[in-house]
Amino acid sequence: MNPHRPSGILEAGVLAVTGPLLVFSIYLLFAGHNQPGGGFAGGLVAGVAVLLVWSAGGLETVRRVLPVRSSALLGIGLLIAAATGFASLLPGFGFLESGYVEFTVPAFGKVKLVSALFFDIGVYLVVVGMALGLVRSLGNEGKVEDSGT
Amino acid sequence: MAVLYWAAANARGIVGGTPIEESVSWVPSLDLALSLRVDGYSLVFLLVVAGAGLPIFLYSNHYFSRSSRATTFAATMTLFAGAMVGLVGSDHLLSLFVFWELTTIASYLLIGFDDQKAAARSAALHAALVTGAGGLAMLGGLVLLAGQAGTYSLAEIVSSPPAQSGAVTVAWALILLGAVTKSAQFPFHAWLPGAMAAPTPASAFLHSATMVKAGIFLVGRLGGAASATTDWWLPAVLAIGFTTMVLGGWRALRQTDLKLLLAFGTLSQLGFIFLLVGSGIPEMVFGGLAILVGHALFKATLFLVVGTIDHEVGTRDLRRLSGLWKSMPILFVIALAASLSMAALPLTLGFAAKEVAFDGLLKQNMPLIAAAAVASVLTVAYTARFLNGAFGRHHENAEPALANGATPRNMLSWAPASLAAASLLLGLMPGTLFGIIDEATRSVTGVLGAGKLALWPGWVPALGWSMASLTVGGFLAWRSAIVDRATAVVGAAARRFPTAEGTYRRSIPAMVTFADKSSGILQNGSLPTYLGTILLVAIGAPTVAVLANQPQFEIPRAGSLLEWLLGLLIVGFAVSLAFIRRRFAVVILLGGVGYGIAGLYSVLGGPDLTLTQLLVETLTIALFAFVLRQLPAVFAKPATARLPRLGVAMLVGAFIFGAGLLVNAARTSETVSTTYLANALPEAGGSNVVNVILVDFRGFDTLGEITVLVAATLGVAGLVLPVIRARRQA
Repeated sequence: MNPHRPSGILEAGVLAVTGPLLVFSIYLLFAGHNQPGGGFAGGLVAGVAVLLVWSAGGLETVRRVLPVRSSALLGIGLLIAAATGFASLLPGFGFLESGYVEFTVPAFGKVKLVSALFFDIGVYLVVVGMALGLVRSLGNEGKVEDSGT
Repeated sequence: MAVLYWAAANARGIVGGTPIEESVSWVPSLDLALSLRVDGYSLVFLLVVAGAGLPIFLYSNHYFSRSSRATTFAATMTLFAGAMVGLVGSDHLLSLFVFWELTTIASYLLIGFDDQKAAARSAALHAALVTGAGGLAMLGGLVLLAGQAGTYSLAEIVSSPPAQSGAVTVAWALILLGAVTKSAQFPFHAWLPGAMAAPTPASAFLHSATMVKAGIFLVGRLGGAASATTDWWLPAVLAIGFTTMVLGGWRALRQTDLKLLLAFGTLSQLGFIFLLVGSGIPEMVFGGLAILVGHALFKATLFLVVGTIDHEVGTRDLRRLSGLWKSMPILFVIALAASLSMAALPLTLGFAAKEVAFDGLLKQNMPLIAAAAVASVLTVAYTARFLNGAFGRHHENAEPALANGATPRNMLSWAPASLAAASLLLGLMPGTLFGIIDEATRSVTGVLGAGKLALWPGWVPALGWSMASLTVGGFLAWRSAIVDRATAVVGAAARRFPTAEGTYRRSIPAMVTFADKSSGILQNGSLPTYLGTILLVAIGAPTVAVLANQPQFEIPRAGSLLEWLLGLLIVGFAVSLAFIRRRFAVVILLGGVGYGIAGLYSVLGGPDLTLTQLLVETLTIALFAFVLRQLPAVFAKPATARLPRLGVAMLVGAFIFGAGLLVNAARTSETVSTTYLANALPEAGGSNVVNVILVDFRGFDTLGEITVLVAATLGVAGLVLPVIRARRQA
């Protein structure tokens, strides 16, 4: 694992699985309310994807694949989560108490939209932002020496 | 800016002008009730705060007219006035403490207002340390007292004091300590002269009329209850007050700075009031309260007079001032009026007040009357020294050096003038004050008509004492050379004794050294030590508590073969990592432990937990790897050095194991899972209960957790990125 000389095979392989991993993470996010998963697990999967990209191609590749600022993800995520909480106050619910609507989308079937999904999206974004932020700061190549691990 | 002053000053005026003799209670739905109760006793203090406050606020408006920091000053003064009003109006012991500390803080800010001067800063620190330490002692005392009395209500404690016991004795001692520091009583008096570094309006308000009265307020309120339940309270209060009274009066005679002279005079008066009000004896309390009002009026006046002199002439050193009575005639008349009251000449409020105080002492057959007379003699002498020093003509050639050569026409003389006028009027018509003080005495001692305020007391023994002390004092004032010589001799002799100031100065380095040494031991910077201490305490305390209560443990079920295998794997990883020197291998083994636990979750039927545990473990190992790149590959010390830690770890493990069995056996109500399972789908529309808990039932927790994630990420970035940037530039 030496970011200075990325292995081409590793990079190609990792990039091949990154897309599916991210899709899977989003699946977990949406499935979470009724099946195993959720914003936290989904965010962690996306975070693992970020780590894989970093280990294959270093920070440069991470920047290329995910051209977003980690601070933006963190901020927007927290904002969405908190806003969901306050929004549920409006119809007279308690803070973060979730409501849901069911409706039918043509050619898709019955869809149940739960307000907690937005909260989970916030959680997801924060977790991804954390992984990205830690990779950006700790995975920086500005180290003095390679300790040989 | 002026509006602010007016608002503040008028508010004070309204509060003071309206006699609220009924109890006003107001309890917000906080745990800590902020109950206010204004009875006759509080009213006297409120009147003093408001009555002295209004002119002083107006005065400071002009005193600082050219200073840009006037607003800051006014704001701090208002904070102080508010705190003081709250203090005297509190019925709850803890809200009393909060207001008490607020006055300390405001006082710190005001004494150190001239923050460019080292002397002002150190004086502010001195006052804050002494009164702050006293405040803490008092807090301890109040809590003890409330515990013994079973209530935090001041009124209830006064009406039914707790029975005599060791704890109550300690409580009274601590409360007395708080009051003594706050009211600058011996041996904690040294901060008050130092506090004269404050701007003069602040000194006039805080350090003569109000803040130093807080301690007196407290001893007065509790004095009756305290002397009923302990037998040393009365002697202690009398001794402290007496020492302060004589010491202050004596040292006032040696000052050359007018403000310091007044400060020591204040000490003397405070000592007298302290012993009178703190005694809890009706006749003496009555006299003390009368003096308190009189003192607030004349002392505030005199401070403002000194402020005006300082403001106009540029000095308050009585060796440099000369002949001011000619150039500032109005100010001289004001000072004269206030001084007459201070020296307690007939027809002044000071006289009427001192008459009742003497009368009270005589009725109690207190030998202290002689001491009080001595203090009165000293008072007359230092009053004369003040008047003569400030306004008299000392040197023929030196004409007064007026800074701007004009008699102040504005508030700088009107504010003290109104205070002096009040002092005179109340002296001529003491009846107006009588009702208030009588009611105040009744509310703390339960006795009405303990004394009487009169223009002329008639031919009573107290008058003899007053007249005698006035005569001797007058003689000393006339022959001031005798006083000067005597104070010089005693001053030289006293140099061999430790002074309160010196003790304070010596104690500061000692305190710093102690803090240095103790934090060196307690905060040694070793992460393993901290963690070990925290863990051992965390498991030790509950273990003792549990074992003392005959615990019952649940017998764990046998478990399946798969569970046993996974368990053994986890234990194997955990134990072996303690003996490995390569850091990276340790991290891998830690990961193994984590994956093993994930396996257990899976076997026990928790897919969500398994998924999350696996992902978190993966991410954690990767993050460890990031950090490990910066560290040496192997631990510096051999693995045996970590054996104590292995011991701690095993203890923690055993504790958690035991706790698990214990908690399961101790269950008294149904598990929360049942309600969660039942409500997840109908209420939150989700069939994954774990997720519903996270986003709905316990959503607030999750919000808090992700906030922590954000903060931690930003924190890491903040720590790491500057280092990287610096290395790039290097």
